[in-house]
Amino acid sequence: MVQASMLNEIIQKFVTSISGIEGAALVTPDGLSLVSVLPSSMDEERTAAMSAAILSLGERIGQELVRGLVARIVVEGEKGYSVMVSCGRDAVLLVLASKETKQGLLFLEIKRLVRELMPLLG
Amino acid sequence: MEILKIAVTGNVGAGKTTFIRTISEIEVVDTERRITDEKIASWKENTTVALDFGRLTLNSEQIVHMYGTPGQARFDFMWDIILNKVHAYILLVAVHRPQDFRGARRILTYINQRVQIPMIIGLTHTDCEGAWQKDDVILALGLTNQNIDLPVVDVNAENPNSVAQCLLTLLEQWQPKPTT
Repeated sequence: MVQASMLNEIIQKFVTSISGIEGAALVTPDGLSLVSVLPSSMDEERTAAMSAAILSLGERIGQELVRGLVARIVVEGEKGYSVMVSCGRDAVLLVLASKETKQGLLFLEIKRLVRELMPLLG
Repeated sequence: MEILKIAVTGNVGAGKTTFIRTISEIEVVDTERRITDEKIASWKENTTVALDFGRLTLNSEQIVHMYGTPGQARFDFMWDIILNKVHAYILLVAVHRPQDFRGARRILTYINQRVQIPMIIGLTHTDCEGAWQKDDVILALGLTNQNIDLPVVDVNAENPNSVAQCLLTLLEQWQPKPTT
């Protein structure tokens, strides 16, 4: 059984303690929300589905175009980043960050977060 | 060369991915993930989360591109993306799961509110236990009054001939516009 409250705590802490992070969500690979800390304007269910969809497409590209294992999908908009990473077999992590966030730092923090979440996801 | 783009849509487990796999001449680009929703996971292992893509060459001038949509409503943004780019669509309905008819009706309404393109309805799982009769399905989908000429065909998504027949029926539905 996934410890939802612990996952929630970790995600919550990640979003509030790192500057530039505007939201994060953990979803199942088939697009159901597990835990999310998102701006109130965003629909949790749709966001979860979208994250799963784009990660699956990205992974398919990695495979089809022989790019190997996909580390992350980054959607860079004029207002900021959406980063999708696989978080083990049972979850996908979405992180929203502002445009001002340093990319290297962002990816590093996401890696750390994934490492922290993985053991809890079994 | 003319590319005819069609969408294959319908509820979870209607047979969309199978339909495309059965007829595609290329290895299908699919995006299936393991189902975590327990209600569905009890009878189905994987589900499409983005799209399926398959291709079929009809003749020296025409190619069909098939785009399968995800079945679950939470992926309706993919329906938008796909349906805005196709020339026609097939709605697959599993007739042995009447509890899904409402969902099929919802998809139909969703699409019809956004695009007016040729379509047909393909009834799948007609040989399964508890399968509804065609007329009853048509009634349940609310298709009796309007769309009198709407073609409703039986299709076995695992049978290449049956899938081809369904595609041809759809192709007959419209005079394809030239595409680039």
